[in-house]
Amino acid sequence: MTLLRYTIRRILQAIPVLIGISFITFVLVNALPGDPVAIMLEGQEVDQETIEAVERRYGLDRPFHERFVTYMLGLIQGDLGYSFHRDMPVSTLMWIRLGPTLLLVISAFVFALVTAVPLGVLAAKRRNEPTDHVSRIIALIGVSTPSFWIGIMLILIFAVWLGWLPSGRLVYPWRDPAHYGFDGRLELYYQTIRHLLLPMVALGTLQMATIMRIERSSMVESLQEEYVQLARAYGVPERTILRKHAFRSAQLPIITIVGLNLSTALGGAVLIETVFEINGMGRLLIQSIQQLDYQVVMGVTIVLATIFVIGVIITDISYAYVDPRVSYGDRD
Amino acid sequence: MATTEGQLGDGEEPQVGWRHTLAQVRNDPTARFGLYIIAIATSVAIFSAVDANLSRLTLGAYHDYTIGEWLPVLENPETLPPPGEMQTYQPPVFAEGGSWDNPLGTDQSGRDYLSRIIYGARISMAVGFFATFLGLTGGVAIGAVAGYYGGWIDDVLMRFVEIIYSIPALVLVIVFTVFVSGGNPDVIYAILGVGIATVPVFSRIIRSRVLSVREMDYVEAARAAGVTDRNIIRRHIIPNSFAPVLVYATLQIGFAILIVAGLSFLGYGAQPPTPDWGQMLNHAHGQMHVNPWMSIWPGVAILLTIMGFNLFGDGLQDALDPRIDN
Repeated sequence: MTLLRYTIRRILQAIPVLIGISFITFVLVNALPGDPVAIMLEGQEVDQETIEAVERRYGLDRPFHERFVTYMLGLIQGDLGYSFHRDMPVSTLMWIRLGPTLLLVISAFVFALVTAVPLGVLAAKRRNEPTDHVSRIIALIGVSTPSFWIGIMLILIFAVWLGWLPSGRLVYPWRDPAHYGFDGRLELYYQTIRHLLLPMVALGTLQMATIMRIERSSMVESLQEEYVQLARAYGVPERTILRKHAFRSAQLPIITIVGLNLSTALGGAVLIETVFEINGMGRLLIQSIQQLDYQVVMGVTIVLATIFVIGVIITDISYAYVDPRVSYGDRD
Repeated sequence: MATTEGQLGDGEEPQVGWRHTLAQVRNDPTARFGLYIIAIATSVAIFSAVDANLSRLTLGAYHDYTIGEWLPVLENPETLPPPGEMQTYQPPVFAEGGSWDNPLGTDQSGRDYLSRIIYGARISMAVGFFATFLGLTGGVAIGAVAGYYGGWIDDVLMRFVEIIYSIPALVLVIVFTVFVSGGNPDVIYAILGVGIATVPVFSRIIRSRVLSVREMDYVEAARAAGVTDRNIIRRHIIPNSFAPVLVYATLQIGFAILIVAGLSFLGYGAQPPTPDWGQMLNHAHGQMHVNPWMSIWPGVAILLTIMGFNLFGDGLQDALDPRIDN
């Protein structure tokens, strides 16, 4: 099977999953004991007429399956419903909020990879030496610390006490510099980085720790491979072995873990965006829950899950592309 | 690293199975350290009601700590100042204005911060254990059935699991707790939500084990002897696929505590006045500029607890995996 056919098959496989995600989200928000209208009107004195008016407005007077079919038909056309609280289509809202979240998540992964890969390689090379122990302790603390607490501590140290970096909000590199009152593109990018630094580290630490662990064990394994031993026996310098022979094959598990960890990163973005007051998808989710804007809640959930599904497909395909041994699932 | 084999005397049989594993974990200093942390956190969670009253870590408010119903909270009202006179936002002992009466200071209602952190262990540990137990039970049931029967049953179940897995865990738990509780989120919904969110990992792990176990001769023999599928799954498949699940469960408890800390931080976990680390950080976040020390301690408590489970889980994994010689 060619790579193209594998790609197409992988995308087709995702369709039932995406329908399932939409269904579960729809059920959670609509059908369970938490009646959206009751939540919306909680604490308010309302008569039956108002309740019915609200139900009509949201189309809640129609039966469940009918509503779901209508919602799904809309989804296919990119219509995620309407935010009554913000008075705009949910899909428009998504486009506005998607940028900051992707900027945050991608930079967190860049931070994680840039720090974790060299540290992991070093730890594997100096296995059971002090360097290895230090990196393992860093990894252990990294997987055990809540990202939002790291965020709070970073704000406390670098913004409140030292005053070096801003404590929140982002500067978007795609905006016009004049919007922020900056002189030019260069200052805009500089400010973007300054604002991004703390949330990036807060969100990226967990990713760094998990990637570092995988990188270490994967490198340890790869350094014990027969062809590496053979190269060593031929007198190939250790540096060359590390760079040319062991490193490349050891990166395959990293590709997979980045794809799978996208899920924790997107979940973590909800917390980090709250701590740093970044107006992305995660903060939108929390705000919409507080505003009881349940169409937006559904929209955010479905879009975040879709990003994860797409991320996994991309990593699967790049894995197949990089590793010639992958059989594209021909066997089954 | 010391292995049990080196300690075997003459005539002793080499140890295998659970006893061997436990011995190895005992010999692993990091795993032991993890176990100590877990033991401390667990006993603090269970016995904190007594502790807080025996020591000077007095409870700050009378109406508080209702979650301790299954353990009597031995309040001693005479020794407490009336609620109106309690000092709020007192700094910790090492800072100016601090005192040993409240080593970590007091919170917004004048309640002792250390006591509340100790009490907070209860919610975190309960959520960690119960949510993981739920996820494990559900995951093992689904994974074992899917792996044993294969075919369309496998397809349907695993596709369902994939769907759950695709929604980022924290997002799923938030939406679940808010909407299923009808807008009144509480710990019980958090436990249910995290339990559901952890079903996919458990079912995947057990399924992959079951795929190899079901081909074993003893399963074949049981089937030939006319044992029902239900009993084969219960008596043979699950017990023989369980080891990796147990390792994962240990690590998963840490993950559950992490998720619920985040959930409480956002305000959808345990509700005040129940003391909870995430919820304490929620309040502390707003006090960052005025009372910065408040955001430090609950985070340290979360970090140490989760670290305990991670250390122990890693040790268990090393002990169970014969390929690792570290």
